[in-house]
Amino acid sequence: MITVPLALIWILEALASVLVIALTWLTLRISAKSLAQDPENALWLFLNWLSIAFLAFACTHLISYTTRNLIIYFHFHQLALVEGIFGGLDTVTYVVIGAITLFFHRIQRIYLHMEVDHRHLEETSQEILELNREMEALVIERTMKEMALGIAHGIRNPLCIIGGLSHRLIKNPDDAEATRDQAQAIAEEAKRIEEMVHRFEKLAHKKTSLFAQKDINLLVGSTLDFLRSEFKAKKISLVTELSASPLPGRIDTQLLRIALAHLLRNAVEATQPRGTVLVRTSMDEENVILMIKDTGRGMAPEVVDQVFIPFYTTKLGGTGLGMVFVRQIVNEHRGTIDLESNVGQGTTVTIKIPHRFAELPGVSEDIPAPESPASSGPSSGSPQD
Amino acid sequence: MKRRLAPIFACIGLQLFFSPPSSLAAGLQCAPPGPYVNEIAHLLFLGAMIFFIYEILHAGLKKFRGFRFLLWAWALLALWNLDAFVGHWAAWTCAAPLVLGDGWSSRLLMKDFRDWTVLVTQLNNFLLLVPAFYLFYRGLKALAQMPRTKHQ
Repeated sequence: MITVPLALIWILEALASVLVIALTWLTLRISAKSLAQDPENALWLFLNWLSIAFLAFACTHLISYTTRNLIIYFHFHQLALVEGIFGGLDTVTYVVIGAITLFFHRIQRIYLHMEVDHRHLEETSQEILELNREMEALVIERTMKEMALGIAHGIRNPLCIIGGLSHRLIKNPDDAEATRDQAQAIAEEAKRIEEMVHRFEKLAHKKTSLFAQKDINLLVGSTLDFLRSEFKAKKISLVTELSASPLPGRIDTQLLRIALAHLLRNAVEATQPRGTVLVRTSMDEENVILMIKDTGRGMAPEVVDQVFIPFYTTKLGGTGLGMVFVRQIVNEHRGTIDLESNVGQGTTVTIKIPHRFAELPGVSEDIPAPESPASSGPSSGSPQD
Repeated sequence: MKRRLAPIFACIGLQLFFSPPSSLAAGLQCAPPGPYVNEIAHLLFLGAMIFFIYEILHAGLKKFRGFRFLLWAWALLALWNLDAFVGHWAAWTCAAPLVLGDGWSSRLLMKDFRDWTVLVTQLNNFLLLVPAFYLFYRGLKALAQMPRTKHQ
């Protein structure tokens, strides 16, 4: 009869169980980290649950097998209860693993439905955008027509009068009194035309009235105060390095606040708990510089290239328009936006807004933007002067 | 409602049909369900792994490196469950193991084919579980390295 040494089998079994515990622990760490980075990801949610179940399985398996061997071969009968309990738990973990797998099937179906809904939303948004563009084009066309008709109507009468009177002047240049009256009438009509042109000029300038001289530092500070609770809720440390001196800029505070809040919220979403978001403001010779740097998961180069493309999003339920609006707002300020990102290292967004026409806040506020070439040169109050 | 009740009535009917004829005495004690539950749980675990393999193949996820690792991990785990099922069955049906010696020097007497089956299936813990969980670890690592972003 053949006999087999049992010590070798126990050692192999124990070694296998310890290795399995180590491997399941490592997988649990990976899945927990990935889930923390992307809590909405159904796959990582499932893998995290499965890793927990596998770790429980590995532990109960080791304990139940070890106690069983101790009872059979070393006669530790007092461990019978422990063996029974952990053997039972071992069986329960098999059922849990099966249940999680079947549950994942349901989650996956829900996830697919959500993706389909997201695509529909995207298509609808695209349609709305196109419709808006068409509406805008239509409104512009109508407005231009109405304006052209208004201008034609407003100019026609004075021009007719000026034309008629000039003809009379040419025909009877010798009648001094009549000439004076006619010249005065021509001057009055010319003045009417001039006033009309002036009104149109004022109308054209009105668009810039929302832009005003402001301290960008104050805007950044108030936006950060507004969002501070979101940083706190996710346990992200907010580091601010705001310029000690005021950062004057001709800005639309509402628009810039929206852009800033969007970028900060993106940073919060991308950064895992205990991460850091740095907000720095500074100024060089030409620009006010605003930098938002996070220690989040970052983006691959191919994703960075597409961030500003309308409707491009990797976020479930995202519109893909957020960063497009941010760039539009920065463009409205004649500024630039740069995005640097590395996977696993974080993202840095740098906005540069020119302060060419700026003056220190409080010195000159809410002055209409100089639009005509004659007034577009550097003002005497600009920092570089 | 009728659909829900139908299997219950069917089970009661089958139990009545297969119930033993009346006897003078009936034992009130039966074997504990533990081993059966364990065997069924192994089958459920096996089914779950096969189901997962089907899901990966059906969804076309095999093209991703991470899912390929997971596919093989599930396959090994499925095999391990089958192995454990057979091992437990063999352990039930064979007589109590005959151990010579005591403690670390004890040796198992291999009487027949079933003893060998129990031994080999026990060794498969090492041969199947460790590579399965290693592949699971590699799969998750590969999936975690796939680029994901949230910026809109």
